[in-house]
Amino acid sequence: MTSNTLNNSNPDTKSLGGSNQKGSGPTKGAAASKWVWNDTTAAWILLTPLLIFFAISVIYPLFETVRLSFYDIRGVAKPVWAGFANYQKLFSDANFLNAMKATFQWTIASTLISVGIGWALALMCSLAPSQTLVFRVMIFAAYGVAEAVSGFMWVGIYRPDAGLLNSILNGIGLSSWAQPWLGDVNTALWAIIVAYVWTQVGLPLMTCFASIQAVPRNLHEAAFIDGASPIKTLWHIVMPLSLPGVRVAIFINLLASLKAFDLIFVLTGGGPIRSTETIGYFMYRESMQNFKLGYGAASTVILLLAVLLVSIPVIVKRTGDAK
Amino acid sequence: MKNRTPKWVLILVGLIAVVWTIPILGIVITSLRPLSEISLGWWRTEELSFTLDAWTKVWSKYPLAQSFWVSVKVSVLATIIPVLLAPAGAYAFQFLKFKGRRVLLIIIINAFVLPNQLVVIPLFRLWREVGLIDNIWAVIIPSAGLSFAWAVFLVKNYLEDFPKELIEAATVDGCGPIARFFHVVLPNSLTPIAAVAILQFLWTWNGLLLPVVFLRSEITLTALLARIQGVYDRNWDQVSVAAIVTTVVPLIIFIIFQRYFTAGASTHTGSKE
Repeated sequence: MTSNTLNNSNPDTKSLGGSNQKGSGPTKGAAASKWVWNDTTAAWILLTPLLIFFAISVIYPLFETVRLSFYDIRGVAKPVWAGFANYQKLFSDANFLNAMKATFQWTIASTLISVGIGWALALMCSLAPSQTLVFRVMIFAAYGVAEAVSGFMWVGIYRPDAGLLNSILNGIGLSSWAQPWLGDVNTALWAIIVAYVWTQVGLPLMTCFASIQAVPRNLHEAAFIDGASPIKTLWHIVMPLSLPGVRVAIFINLLASLKAFDLIFVLTGGGPIRSTETIGYFMYRESMQNFKLGYGAASTVILLLAVLLVSIPVIVKRTGDAK
Repeated sequence: MKNRTPKWVLILVGLIAVVWTIPILGIVITSLRPLSEISLGWWRTEELSFTLDAWTKVWSKYPLAQSFWVSVKVSVLATIIPVLLAPAGAYAFQFLKFKGRRVLLIIIINAFVLPNQLVVIPLFRLWREVGLIDNIWAVIIPSAGLSFAWAVFLVKNYLEDFPKELIEAATVDGCGPIARFFHVVLPNSLTPIAAVAILQFLWTWNGLLLPVVFLRSEITLTALLARIQGVYDRNWDQVSVAAIVTTVVPLIIFIIFQRYFTAGASTHTGSKE
C-alpha cells in the first residue's frame, strides 16, 4: 500500500499491458513533467470538506448525545453529572415505556403492512408492466408527499365531525363504527399507522418491482414454453427472485419507522394522553418542550440502540463486503 | 407474453391506485370550493361551485411566500453541498489508495442508519452557543451532513462499474488524481449525481423535525403547515392551498424523476446480493 503513495500511479496502471513492463515507466515520466499530488494528499483534499460536515452533524452529535445522557440538564443551567439516573428514570417512566411499546407496534405493523401491500402490488404490476405504469406512479406519488402534508390530508379523513371515514361509515349504515379516530386512545395509534402506510407503500412497490424487472426475460419465456400460467410463473419464479427488493424495502421501512416523528407531530402531537408518542417523539417532547435535554438524550440513546439492533446484521454484512 | 394478463389484475391495481389518490384529490377539491359548501366534507355535491378565493386569500393570511422561499433556499443549499462533495468522496474511496480508507468508508456509509433525532439535542446546544438558531444554516448543515452516508454510497456504487481504462488512460496522459476526478470521473457520473440531487432535495424539502427545532421566525413550508394546523385554525380551504403549495414542487420533481428512485433502489439490491 505505502509504495503507491510514493507516486501518483494507481495500482491498476500496472495491468496496462506488454508495453508497460514492470512498474509504471510512462506514468512516472508523465507525472514528473508536471507537479501532481500523490493519492493520499489528493484523497484528503477531496475528503476534507465532506468530513467537516460529517463530523459536525454525525460524529459530534453521536458522542455528545451519549455524554449528555449522563447529565441532568435543565434549560440553560449548568449540566450536573447524574450517572445512570436518566436511564433509571426512563425505565420507570410510564410514558417512556408506552413510547417503547408504541414504537415497537408502529415499526412492526407499518413495515409488515406496507411491504406486504407493496410487494403484492409489485407482483401484480409485473404481469403488465407498461399498462400499470400510471397506477404505479399514482401510488408511488404518496411517497413524495411530505408527511406534514399527508398529515393534513388524513386529518380531513379522520376528523370526527365531517371526516371522510365517518361519513362513509354513516353512509353505508355502520354509524355505530364511527368514532373520533385520532381522539380515542384505542384507535389513535392505528389511525396514524394507516396514514403512514399510505405514504410508505410506494417504496416497497418500487424496489420490489425493480428487482422483478431484473429477473431475466428468458426465465419467463422458459416458463411460458413449459406451459406455466402467468400466476404460476409469478409464484414459482418471480416471487422468489424478487426477494432482494423485499429485503431492501423491509430494511429501509424498519429504519424509517423507528425514527418516526413528522406524521405524529402533525396528526396527534403525541396525544391523546401521550398514547401515540414514539421514542422519536418522546425525545422531542422531553428535550424541546420540557427542556430536559439530558433526559431526552438518554431516550435518543435507547432509540439509537434499537436502530443499531435492526441494522447490525446489514452493517456487518456490508462491512465484510467493503473492499 | 402478450395479453395473457388476467383482466382482474389490471382492475384491482387500478382500483387501489384510485383509492390511493383520494387524500390528494381531497385537498385539491377542498382548496377549490367555498368553505360554506365543504364544511361537511369536500365530496358533498348538494351545492357545487368552484372558486379561487382561498388561493388568493391565503397569501395574506399566512406567510406562505416567505416560507416557500425559505424552503427553496434550505433545500437548494442542502442539495448543492452533497452534490459537490459526495462524488469527490466517492471517487477518493473508490480509486485512491490512502491509509484509513477502509475504516473511514465503513464509518461514513454505516452512518445512514443513525436517526435524525440524534442531532437535535447536541446541535441545539451548539447552535445556541454560536447563535445559529433561527438561521437556515442550522438546518442546512445537518441536512447535508446526514446525507453523505447514502450519497457517497450511491455514487461509489456506480463508480464500481466505471471503466478503469478511462482512468488509466488519463493517468498515462499525466493527469494527477484530482485532475482525473474533475476531467474523467465527474463528467461521466452524472446519473448517480442526479439521483443524489433529487433524493436530497425531496427529503430536505419534506423534512419537518430539523426546521421545527431549529427555526423560529422564518420557517419552511412543512413547519408552517404544521404550525397552522397546530393552532386549530380550521380554514380547511386555505390550509389546503398551503398544503398544495408545499407539495407541488417535490411532487412534480418526484413524478418526473421517479425512475431515479428505482435506479437507486436497484443499485442498493445489486450491491447487497
